[in-house]
Amino acid sequence: MAQLTNIIRLSFRDYSHEWRMSGCFVLALASVLAPMMILFGLKFGIVSSMVQDLVENPLNREIRPVGSGRYDEDWIEAYRNRKDVAFIVPRTRALAATIQLKSETSKRILSAELLATAEGDPLLRGLKRMPQDYYQVILSQSAANKLKVTAGDVIDASLSRQFDGKRDRVHLPVTVIDIANAAATSRNVAFVHLDLLIASELFKDGRLVEDLGWEGDRSDSLQRFYPSFRLYARSISDVETLVGDLEREGVRVNANVAEISTVQSIDRNLAVIFWIIACVGALGFSFSLGASLWANVDRKRRDLSVLRLVGFKSGRIILFPVLQACYTAALGWLLAILVYLAFEYLINYFLAPRLNLHRALCFLLAEHFLWALALTVTVAILAALIGGIRAARIEPADGLRDI
Amino acid sequence: MTVIYSLKNVVKERLIDGVGFRLVVPRIQINARENIALIGHSGCGKSTLLDLLALILRPDQDEEFGLHPVDGNSHDIGRLWQRDRQGVLSQIRKQHIGYVMQSGGLLPYLTVRENIELPRRLLGLPDDDSIKSLSRVLGIDRQLDKLPGLLSAGERQRAAFARALSHRPSILIADEPTSALDPITAQKIMAVVMEVIRGLKITLITASHDWAHVYRMELRTLKQEAEAVEGGKVYQSRFVD
Repeated sequence: MAQLTNIIRLSFRDYSHEWRMSGCFVLALASVLAPMMILFGLKFGIVSSMVQDLVENPLNREIRPVGSGRYDEDWIEAYRNRKDVAFIVPRTRALAATIQLKSETSKRILSAELLATAEGDPLLRGLKRMPQDYYQVILSQSAANKLKVTAGDVIDASLSRQFDGKRDRVHLPVTVIDIANAAATSRNVAFVHLDLLIASELFKDGRLVEDLGWEGDRSDSLQRFYPSFRLYARSISDVETLVGDLEREGVRVNANVAEISTVQSIDRNLAVIFWIIACVGALGFSFSLGASLWANVDRKRRDLSVLRLVGFKSGRIILFPVLQACYTAALGWLLAILVYLAFEYLINYFLAPRLNLHRALCFLLAEHFLWALALTVTVAILAALIGGIRAARIEPADGLRDI
Repeated sequence: MTVIYSLKNVVKERLIDGVGFRLVVPRIQINARENIALIGHSGCGKSTLLDLLALILRPDQDEEFGLHPVDGNSHDIGRLWQRDRQGVLSQIRKQHIGYVMQSGGLLPYLTVRENIELPRRLLGLPDDDSIKSLSRVLGIDRQLDKLPGLLSAGERQRAAFARALSHRPSILIADEPTSALDPITAQKIMAVVMEVIRGLKITLITASHDWAHVYRMELRTLKQEAEAVEGGKVYQSRFVD
């Protein structure tokens, strides 16, 4: 026990006495470890943000029907209840789904596309309120900019029709309850309750909309058919199955299937490349750390022999270089983390915005730092052990005389 | 007289492909409180014999290699080496032997005081004023808090003696402790050391140098005979009583 505490004390004294040499070892270790950490940080950051982009971007999960069909409420409801469907909402005929918007703050009248929305719409993720009736609307960023309106403003929405040889126009005051994210769409879109979309179609068809007091023919059929729908899969891996099922039903659809598999394979290939680089890096790092620590033990042979002469047992002597290697490993690791964090900051705050990434380009988790520490300490201890055992094996007299 | 070392036909070889050096000790007995000087030119095996006696070198052959410290049990050193009982050997070394190297061998990262304290710490001996008095006698009491690198060569050897003596060993082995010093400093240091040795009743075994003749009356010399054997390939050295 006395020997153990003495060895710890002595190894530390020697280490701090030779601070220049120790500093060089620490620098050497950090200069190999830090770039590896940055490389890993980039790999982790890029790959995970790519995957996240894929998963999060609704466009990649969207399944768009080609042409128009006849889908009733039951059909829509059946798909809404599927586990692999995140969101589905009917669309009306494209021609009937346009509306003219006029704000007090802008002179121009904007023709906007009407899209039905509801709770859970991936395009409007993060917004707190959804249109609940005819009089509420969420504008796309581009529409809001052109109308110069913000959430809370009331604007005039109007629809026109050519019916029975005369032009009709109806007006409706709607409240802008929120503005959609720029990423949702670049078009001029008014997200509205499905009822308003249906009302718009009825009006354009010259039919009566009782709720809003819009005149027209009374509808004879209660059964509604929608020509199209807006469908989002739960995740990108659900897209393929959904597309298959829809096509089996005779619904021709478009989806980013090819793109998804491309990015998935890029992800896999990138991971392989990064792993190869990382393995080669880790191997090189192990050898360089091992070689320098081993050389250091050889350099200290005489001092180690003196310790044996004074009465330290061989087993304790081995601890001396092992402990010093641990100091180097721990300090080098800390320094490498500092260097890494500095680069992480630079990359994420200066490089990432230039690449139009809104997510961190480079980052590591706490467990990655711990893995790096484990690798460093293991290699350091192994190298020092090999050197230390060699030093402890030679007869003390030889170690004393060799120099 | 108590015998502390008794060696019979102890052999240590340093041969490469049958060429090299062989040390043969036909018979040596060293008594307690006897002071021994090994005499011979350099390369004749003085250091080798001292290392064998200091238990830091493994003999190749021995008929008898006994150590009987005044204040401890007897040990069959030859058998301990054969059984590779290095732990026991280092324990005996730690307890009974002080060793002064040619170059001092002070640890550069410890102060002089810590260097001197080290053998005591390893034995778990209490801190008393023995270090202070020892260093005062050896004339290094004002250098205790310096690192060895700041000391002169003479001061370093004085400190090395202090370290070798701090745990009160019964045997002090010194391998040409003054060979790096000028003759006047060497004589001064050895005068002090001889005084301490007498006071502490220690057995001194040393490789001799210029100052040896000064203490001729107090030192028993072991003489060396050397010859080339095995067709001139092996230089064989014999120390005889």
